[in-house]
Amino acid sequence: MAGVLVDSAEASALGTAAGLRRRRYLALATGWVGFVAIWWLLSVWVNSDARLPSPGRVWDEVWIIFNGDPTNSRNDGGIFWNNFLASVIRVLLGFVVGVAMGTPLGFLMGRNRYWRSFLKSPVMIAGSIPGLTYAVMVLVVFGISFVGPVLAIGLISMPYIAINVAEGVGGVDKGLLNMSRSFGRSEKQMFRDVVVPSVLPFIFAGVRLSFSLAWKVGQLTEVFGASQGIGFQIRRNFQLFNMPAVIAWIGLFIIFMLVLERFVLVRIERKLFRWRQWEREG
Amino acid sequence: MAKVTVSKLAKLFPPPIKGGDVVRAITNIDFEVDGNVFVSIVGPSGCGKSTLLNILSGVDTPTSGSVTVTEAGKPAKLGYVFQDARLLPWRSVMDNMMYVRDDASDESVANAAKYLSMVGLDHTHEMFPGQLSGGMQQRVGIARAFSVEPDLLLMDEPFSHLDAMTARSLRDHLQELWSRTRKTVLFVTHDVMEAVQLSDRIIVLAPGGVIYDDISIDLPHPRKASDPKVATLQAEILGQFENMQIPAVE
Repeated sequence: MAGVLVDSAEASALGTAAGLRRRRYLALATGWVGFVAIWWLLSVWVNSDARLPSPGRVWDEVWIIFNGDPTNSRNDGGIFWNNFLASVIRVLLGFVVGVAMGTPLGFLMGRNRYWRSFLKSPVMIAGSIPGLTYAVMVLVVFGISFVGPVLAIGLISMPYIAINVAEGVGGVDKGLLNMSRSFGRSEKQMFRDVVVPSVLPFIFAGVRLSFSLAWKVGQLTEVFGASQGIGFQIRRNFQLFNMPAVIAWIGLFIIFMLVLERFVLVRIERKLFRWRQWEREG
Repeated sequence: MAKVTVSKLAKLFPPPIKGGDVVRAITNIDFEVDGNVFVSIVGPSGCGKSTLLNILSGVDTPTSGSVTVTEAGKPAKLGYVFQDARLLPWRSVMDNMMYVRDDASDESVANAAKYLSMVGLDHTHEMFPGQLSGGMQQRVGIARAFSVEPDLLLMDEPFSHLDAMTARSLRDHLQELWSRTRKTVLFVTHDVMEAVQLSDRIIVLAPGGVIYDDISIDLPHPRKASDPKVATLQAEILGQFENMQIPAVE
């Protein structure tokens, strides 16, 4: 009898958990459907493709972006991947540049108070300059180029990484360093096995913080000074007064961002910092 | 068989406030520890116990006097157990054991496993420190210190951060481990009862860092806290402390 009672209690507990999840997905789906419905109603009311194209028109454009345009021989369907990859590669390379610049600066700032005093203001200033400034600056210096956007993305993400790394280096557990010294570990071992793992979550936090910023700046530089990329496509279609295509590209960009953030970044983080899950619970 | 020689050791710290007095952490102490004995250094807070250990381990330097720690005439290899476990949270228990070892051969891994087994942690090799209780973490810390097979093991109040029950069970583990390995141990504690259960000899420090007493304890190891002989001796020595009128237990 007792067993039966426990079983039914467990079953209802499980049922609640599953029900909760189902309700959450339902709310999410309702939100999206509602959003598209309101959009569609507004577009019917506005009744102008140039001002607010309907979801259907935008969907047609998305289809053309992926599958090519039969009325335009220049668009054979490769347009999405070409532009998309151009943007992704730029942002990733920009991030590499940002981490490569920000990490050593962060280490200097975290380890040595003279360097901290010296670098604090420049890094803070670099962090508070609007993305647009970088976009315009690199365009002036490099013209329409591949290097420009990469550098702009690097510059905009660098301060976030530097400040986070400095924070992480300053917070390395002195007890662990002492322990390592007492057991005769070399400076190199201590750096590799104590300092780097301590700082890694902070680098990652910096990457997460500057990630959306880097994308925005990347798009901005493409709008001004690129011949390929999602930002470039948005500008080109804007100049052609092709609003459905502008919105289609923006939509694809947002979806890609969400996927990257939700699935790729979060997964990498979970895998890298598996031990932290236990830390929090313990 | 490490040999520890402390002679005319003194350590002064600069005044904590401007114009204040110099802090005498240790004032002229002499003692010698020779052979595979378990020696406790007991005294109230601020009597220079930890300073003494730091000087012995080379983390701190003496103001005057000298300490030598040798093994057959050569500098001795040291092992440490700290107040907290000090494990790398991003490494598994086994990887923590391997971190302080110089070779990663199968033999070395088996050796590390042997010490984990001695503290009853066979099943934890792949776990992260965060998955273990405080007592289990400290057991890993103890196994780690023993596993490097040091000539001298320094322990700085290793059970002071644990609850009474866990501390008691860890003392038993330590007794067990020590009886089997017979290292030279210097064990700092403020707990007289603990010192009596574990040690062959108790060096009592008084505030100002002077040696107040040096007591030998001649009971076979491993000793249980519940052993009436241990309990009697604990009561006896605790009585002596009351007569000395120093705050022996905080």
